[in-house]
Amino acid sequence: MTARLVGLLLLAFVTLGASLLVGGVDLAPGAIFNALAHPHASADVTIVWQLRLPRVVIAAAVGLELSVAGALLQGMLRNPLVDPYLTGVSAGAAAAITLAIVAGVAAPLIPGIGFIAGLGAALLVASLARRGAGLDANRLILAGVSLSALFSAFIALILTRGQSADYAAEIISWLAGSMAGRGWNDLALSLPYAGGGLILAALAVPMLNALRVGTVRAAAAGVNVDRAQWLLLASAALLTASAVALAGMVGFVGLIVPHLARRIVGSDARVLVPACALLGMTLCMLADAAARTLVAPAELPVGVLLAFIGVPTFLYLYLRGGVAA
Amino acid sequence: MISARGVRIEVAGRPLLDGMNFDILPGEFVAVLGSNGVGKTTLLRAMNGRHGPSAGTLALDGRAIADLDGTTRARSMAFMTSDDAPIDNLTAREVVATGRYPFHRWWQWNATREDEAAIDGALQAVGMRELGERAFETLSSGERQRIWLALGLAQEAPYLLLDEPTSHLDVRFSHEILGLLREQARAGKAIVCAIHDINDAAAFADRMLLLGDRRIVAWDTPERVLTADNLHLAYGIPMETVRTSTGSIRVFA
Repeated sequence: MTARLVGLLLLAFVTLGASLLVGGVDLAPGAIFNALAHPHASADVTIVWQLRLPRVVIAAAVGLELSVAGALLQGMLRNPLVDPYLTGVSAGAAAAITLAIVAGVAAPLIPGIGFIAGLGAALLVASLARRGAGLDANRLILAGVSLSALFSAFIALILTRGQSADYAAEIISWLAGSMAGRGWNDLALSLPYAGGGLILAALAVPMLNALRVGTVRAAAAGVNVDRAQWLLLASAALLTASAVALAGMVGFVGLIVPHLARRIVGSDARVLVPACALLGMTLCMLADAAARTLVAPAELPVGVLLAFIGVPTFLYLYLRGGVAA
Repeated sequence: MISARGVRIEVAGRPLLDGMNFDILPGEFVAVLGSNGVGKTTLLRAMNGRHGPSAGTLALDGRAIADLDGTTRARSMAFMTSDDAPIDNLTAREVVATGRYPFHRWWQWNATREDEAAIDGALQAVGMRELGERAFETLSSGERQRIWLALGLAQEAPYLLLDEPTSHLDVRFSHEILGLLREQARAGKAIVCAIHDINDAAAFADRMLLLGDRRIVAWDTPERVLTADNLHLAYGIPMETVRTSTGSIRVFA
């Protein structure tokens, strides 16, 4: 399994290098390496350090955050159909972002608003899913799905109002998922929360492994199931909210990557969580590179591309494997 | 010692069992008997601290079980539920490794040498050492029960609580599991096992806790518990107890 993890790590590095090559200006690998190694003022350095690298790193961060969040939630709820947006984070963030854009809030404040609203929505979903000291898996899924539907209806309402037409492009770029125009600042702002989410995820790894035998047996083996569920949900909500603040609603990664990673390394959370992180980074960097090149100089929404790349790959791998897989 | 003093157990505010007193000692095999719904599972859950008694005390070596933290409880007693949660993508060995959870510090991800030894020992004890790397979902019902038992043994706890470990098994596999439990009792563990089959219980248990009529009907050795009167009280139908030529007790309904 370690060999496979190293393979995924190499893949992520290769993708990172390749993504740096892609852009409006043709830069040779040597020029990019030079700019990375010697960050003195020059056009190449500006392009690499201020445009491409932050973009690629943000794509990697978003992929990592959503994939790890997806793995945590799928493991916790023992449900393969669960994705990070079940927490209500993205729908809540999307509704707040849409409202903020229409209300004319300054663009730099939008990610923060999305982040806070996303966490607020997650708290609401969690409070609806509470049962005793813990969380009820079915209630969590129902609360997440129904609140998400409510927030979507709210967004549709705003979008269909005539006066929203001016803002539609900006709103849609958030809803479809995009990393255009984001920079180091956005990354720095989300880093503490994403870092916090990852630390919680690391603490939850042994519990996640024990939960594979079911909550009753895990509890008998000494797992505080209530605490484990809150820990996992908090971690997933922080990671998802960070991703949404960076890139809007990037779909499918959080659902698909955990499945692909399980195919490659199995279900042991000690390997699965890092594998999801690496694979999610790779997939998002690829999708972002494609988003920047396919219709250059225009851009495609990365969320759309991820669906185009991710879903067929996923279906191919799954359907090819048949029932035995 | 697991001791119950005046224990009352309620479910949804309604009394299920009341006035229970018993002491369960290390090295004995106790069978918990009674008809469906009498509260065998709930009593086991209460003994495992998952369902607090609404009156009386249920203690492990003098400490109230409901107050034990998860780690202490899991290192003192293993609980084998009859819940059949689906298990995907796990080897038998990985399932058993869950039993080592209470021995890990909160930051510890990896198994220690002691963990590996305990897992090997548990697989060996249930005769599944060779099948450790098999996918759990490919095992037969009997093999799965052995693996669940091994999970409990990996906890290295002196008390083993089991909720109908033989319910889906044919007579041969039932006897194998009960035989393994008998061995564990001989090795010093206390076994508390809910069993449906009265004759199996009579063949393997040292003492029986017969539940019925919201209380303990009888708590004694199989010969003393399995009387026609007790059985009628517990199950509500006439039964007959016969002693065979080999000295064992058979119950007929």
